[in-house]
Amino acid sequence: MSTTDKPTRWYMAAPIHGILLVGAVFFVLPLLWMIATSFKPLEQTLKVPGSVKEALFGIGHRAEIGGLVYDVVLERAITPSVDDPYWIVRPLEEFPNGEMTHPFGPETWRKYPIFNQDELKRMDTIITPAMEVLADRKTPYNEETGILSLLSGRGVKAELVKTLEPAEDGEQLWLVREWRPEDTDTKEIGSTAADPTRAWAVLPESSIRESIRSIPQNYPAALKRVNFWRSFLNTMFVCVMTVFGVVISSLIVAYGFAFIDFKGRETLFKLTLATMMIPFPIVMVPTYLLYRKLGWVGTFKPLWVWSWFGSAFFIFLLRQFLLGMPKDLLDAARIDGCSELQILWHVVVPLTKAPLAMVALFQFLGTWRDFMGPLIYLNNTSQFTLSLSLQAFQSEHGGTPWHLLMAASTAFSLPLIILFFLTIRTFIRSMATSGLKE
Amino acid sequence: MKNSTRRTITGYAFATPWLIAMIFLIGYPFAASLYFSTCEYPPLRGPLFIGMGNYQELVQDAVFRQSMMITIVFAVVAIPLGVLLALTLALFLNSRIHGRSVYRVVYYLPHLVPSVAVAILWMWMFNPDFGILNVALSPFGKAASFLLRPFAAVALNVPPWVGLVFVIAAFALWRWLKKKAIDPRSVALIQTRRLTFGRWSEKGFSIASRLTALVFVIAIVFALALWLNPIDLAKIQSPGWLTDANAFPSGLSAAPSWALWALIYMSLWGVGQMAIIYLAKLQDVPVVLYEVADLDGANWWQKTRYITVPMISPVILFNVIMGIIGAFQVFTEPYIMTSGGPEDRTRFAAMFIYDQTFQYQRLGYGSAVAWVLFLVIVVLTLLAMRISRERVYYAAR
Repeated sequence: MSTTDKPTRWYMAAPIHGILLVGAVFFVLPLLWMIATSFKPLEQTLKVPGSVKEALFGIGHRAEIGGLVYDVVLERAITPSVDDPYWIVRPLEEFPNGEMTHPFGPETWRKYPIFNQDELKRMDTIITPAMEVLADRKTPYNEETGILSLLSGRGVKAELVKTLEPAEDGEQLWLVREWRPEDTDTKEIGSTAADPTRAWAVLPESSIRESIRSIPQNYPAALKRVNFWRSFLNTMFVCVMTVFGVVISSLIVAYGFAFIDFKGRETLFKLTLATMMIPFPIVMVPTYLLYRKLGWVGTFKPLWVWSWFGSAFFIFLLRQFLLGMPKDLLDAARIDGCSELQILWHVVVPLTKAPLAMVALFQFLGTWRDFMGPLIYLNNTSQFTLSLSLQAFQSEHGGTPWHLLMAASTAFSLPLIILFFLTIRTFIRSMATSGLKE
Repeated sequence: MKNSTRRTITGYAFATPWLIAMIFLIGYPFAASLYFSTCEYPPLRGPLFIGMGNYQELVQDAVFRQSMMITIVFAVVAIPLGVLLALTLALFLNSRIHGRSVYRVVYYLPHLVPSVAVAILWMWMFNPDFGILNVALSPFGKAASFLLRPFAAVALNVPPWVGLVFVIAAFALWRWLKKKAIDPRSVALIQTRRLTFGRWSEKGFSIASRLTALVFVIAIVFALALWLNPIDLAKIQSPGWLTDANAFPSGLSAAPSWALWALIYMSLWGVGQMAIIYLAKLQDVPVVLYEVADLDGANWWQKTRYITVPMISPVILFNVIMGIIGAFQVFTEPYIMTSGGPEDRTRFAAMFIYDQTFQYQRLGYGSAVAWVLFLVIVVLTLLAMRISRERVYYAAR
């Protein structure tokens, strides 16, 4: 707050740091939460984080099953008692998983609610004699007859591996199942619950360790879902066309306004400024009808053709810069017999590189973020820009796969953030200039 | 050919692209939408003139009235909050401390996230079950709920207009004392006052005016708190945000709903860009002004109030006007986050127009709404300029 050149003393600086830091936490929190969520497994997004560690990182569990250490999911708590007995058995004949419920049964289904018809079919794995299954009160195993009663009412022969006893010190037992990174894609989750190749076991709580579970695999899954590369190319196409269009046309018009003294120039310039006041919804309907008459709806043309005719704000901005240029330079070029276009190209352009970069950056940002334009004019998914693809993915799922949505959002924002750090000087300068019109 | 004629031809040649844009992409749509607004326009047939029919209809359209109301309430709440926050941030960021460039980047970063991503991110933030925002805010919510409890208890017995009376009374008292404290009209007047009130009157009035300023602020909080109901105190601890259509404070039906508060909160997240603009302007304020003020013994607040703010007032006015125009174009966030719900409490004007035009295919009606919107913007902008006319300082150019 001091405006002189001496640095602020520490006792003044400390409270300023304090306030700025608290503010920064609230400004960074959403970004942090976006990135943190994008690396989490699905099950972590469906609970309130209990600790800072859990909020920042995905937390999972690891456990040893049959001598190998696996990442596991705690499927459910198991509390064996006389009323609620459990057995681990090995069937002696084949039967479809659908007839047996555990461990691949309704309990898991309720946990992963996103299923479609195909996945339900895939859950009908055949249980073969090599596999172990968990039997409980609903699908009891009779130790004397060696018969496992399935949910369908049928009985199959099975041999007992183990009868689960309650732990002596009252420790909780858990049914754990091997977890793999690809489980993060919600579409695949149904099949993972039914996957007979996954290791599983019933383990006491003390043998299960907590571990950080960060999954970059969310990104490929999310990018595939939003059709990222296709949308990226579409977005880039529109961005490049509008950036070149706006820079070239606005510079030409601004040159006219700044250096050529023609009749009606002032009126025209004032009119240009006035057009900036017109909100988009006013011109939306007739513009749409105009483009429809031209047959452009459903193509990229409505999104970029306008830019080749100039943009009021940029014309204004560039004119202000050009007015600051020394006039003698132009006059010298005129005396040398240069035409106006030659002056523009050989004298003005080399001197206005910085403002031109600024305009390009502005327009790039604007086009990259634009949502309403693509929403109105594009109707074919293969033409969708990133904004539209992301919105389509979101509305299709109503917002359950937050980890994938956050991964896609991060990927969508990242190019702009990289661009920002690459061009930080131009950037800050241009942002500051956007408020300078008076 | 005369030189000036040639110049004119060249000039118009250079302006040609923009002339085409002005005629076909701005002028024609602008005029056409005015014509369409007086028409019934089913998209497959042509426009059919019906005079003021659309306008008569929209006067009676409750959803339209509400969407206009919501947009104005959003503008009235979000713009001053945004300007205040941005200005405070800029003042802090302008101090000479270590790492200030890092702070600048941190506060600016949110502006880089594209609006669709912002909308989805904040849906996740506001998620009432698993969102991080309610977790992070819960200590503040508890504190606020505790502090507001006495007000809510009073509110049960006192009608809300009492608060307004308090506010007006405190304001009048403050202005009166302030006028007394610094009345420069004549030495004779000061003399008379000294005779009437004693020799400490100058100092006394100035202290009293500051105290009443404080009372005025408290009265505003009190007046707002009189609309609180006990249920608000419970909600404040863990709001349902986007899912809650009830107004807050719930006694004041014109107040923003929780869903609208959520969007206001979200809009404040992007305030860093405005702060950077202010910051650039702050650095243009001539240092000599502060040095003179230092010689006069001005304190920090006086320097801010009488030098900094007036010097950057044109940018503030510009931001307010852009904010008004922007508020009437808010579309992406409600479209993605709430689809206008709950109970149409976030159906902003631009979204209403989009719905009428593209969902219900009523191009004429949509145009009429757009024109009403335009007129409201013009009126509000003129109002903002009018109010600020004597408060905005333009350096001589």
